Amino acid sequence: MRRSLLFILSIILTVTSLAATYTVDNLPIPYLQDKTQYVSNPDNLLSQSAVDSLNLWLGQMEAAHGVQTVLAVVERIEGGETYDFCMALGRKYGIGRKEQNSGLIILLSTGDRAYTILTGRGLEGTLPDAICKRIENYQMLPALREGNWDEAMLNAVRAITKYVDGDDSLVGSSDFDDGDTGALIGFLLCMLIGLGIIFFAIWYDERRKSYCPSCKQYKMKKISSYTTKNKRLGIRTHHDTYRCSHCYFTKELHWDENLNSGSGAAAGGALGGSFFGGGGRSFGGSFGGGSFGGGGASGRF
Amino acid sequence: MKTLKLILMAVVATFALTSCTYNKLVEQEETVTRAWADVEAQYQRRADLIPNLVNTVKGYAAHEKEALEAVVNARSKATQISIDPSNVTPEQLAEFQAAQGEITQALGRLIAISESYPDLKANEQFSELQAQLEGTENRIAESRRLYNEAVQTYNVSVRRFPNIIWAWIFKFDKKVPFAAEAGAAKAPEVQF
Repeated sequence: MRRSLLFILSIILTVTSLAATYTVDNLPIPYLQDKTQYVSNPDNLLSQSAVDSLNLWLGQMEAAHGVQTVLAVVERIEGGETYDFCMALGRKYGIGRKEQNSGLIILLSTGDRAYTILTGRGLEGTLPDAICKRIENYQMLPALREGNWDEAMLNAVRAITKYVDGDDSLVGSSDFDDGDTGALIGFLLCMLIGLGIIFFAIWYDERRKSYCPSCKQYKMKKISSYTTKNKRLGIRTHHDTYRCSHCYFTKELHWDENLNSGSGAAAGGALGGSFFGGGGRSFGGSFGGGSFGGGGASGRF
Repeated sequence: MKTLKLILMAVVATFALTSCTYNKLVEQEETVTRAWADVEAQYQRRADLIPNLVNTVKGYAAHEKEALEAVVNARSKATQISIDPSNVTPEQLAEFQAAQGEITQALGRLIAISESYPDLKANEQFSELQAQLEGTENRIAESRRLYNEAVQTYNVSVRRFPNIIWAWIFKFDKKVPFAAEAGAAKAPEVQF
């Protein structure tokens, strides 16, 4: 009995310790679901208040300078090499805007006692390796040695923000076409133009029908109509009789409708579909495809 | 007359189709050239760091002459080798790689020696130089990886079937990738 209990306990322990080892593929990236969440804190090593502060600061940094950050604090990573892990992460998600390659990855693996600040190609000038090292040595290390993960991350991001704020060459995300608003405006514009064309066509058609060839005035009105069906050809013929209210000239208009294509209903469906399809927007963020050339600094504590 | 027309059409059609292949090959070759330029830039960056590093170490461990000189010599030897990426032979690339590898080893020894000088280790400038050096080694590895990737893509498309004819006509030769670092395959020996 006791032995089996022990066995179960050991299995549970292995499973939990396995769950705490992250690979590039199973590390949660909350940013993808919610673009205000830059911090990945799956093991709850950071306090909620620290996570909130970090998210706020990193959000401001992205808005003002277009620096897209992923900050992760985990118990253990596969392989134990934070630099390799960060590079793989950057390669997988393409963190940072493509235009300026301004991705930033900050990773702390507490179980491996290792950390890395990885800068995208476009950030290497703003945050040179030596500066990253200095931030790590002076802002992070003292707190890390005490096991104060909150303090280490808050200090690091505070220091990084200072350097990024000092660089005017980095352009904020609002200056780029955000894609979201741009797409929406474009969509609405297309809708407007499309509707305009449809209304114009209807109006033009009506006006053409109301033209009286006898007195040259637009006074013809429909007074009667009936339809005939030809099943063999698959068409329905409309016979509309128009009379001019000015000179009482009468004319008959015939037009055929193809029975096999429910064109009107289909067009309406497509229109409605595309209109409502524009609705359900998600609020997840997306990464811009930035690349990393290996800049930054790593260390152990 | 009819056959002549057919032949003419065939010629026109092949050239119309080739321009696509040709452009693709040019594009891929250009990617390789660019990737090589990046590799060279990263090696240059390391070479530029060395004088600074040597001077800093000298200030604390001047009598480690051997290690210091090894770095300087390896650097001057490596900077003499320049490579033209458009027609590099495997031997040339191996020579280049060996010379750069010597720098890596000499630097490794120098950094290892500096471990026994606490004052040097505590020096901020040295710590930052070390970080820069580490970052540069990372960048070298990354740029080499990208270069090899570009070479592989290019080599594959040069050797694919219809392309191989045009590659032969327009003289698109195979390119040489980096070999794995000498000694990388060998497990390090530990002696007690």
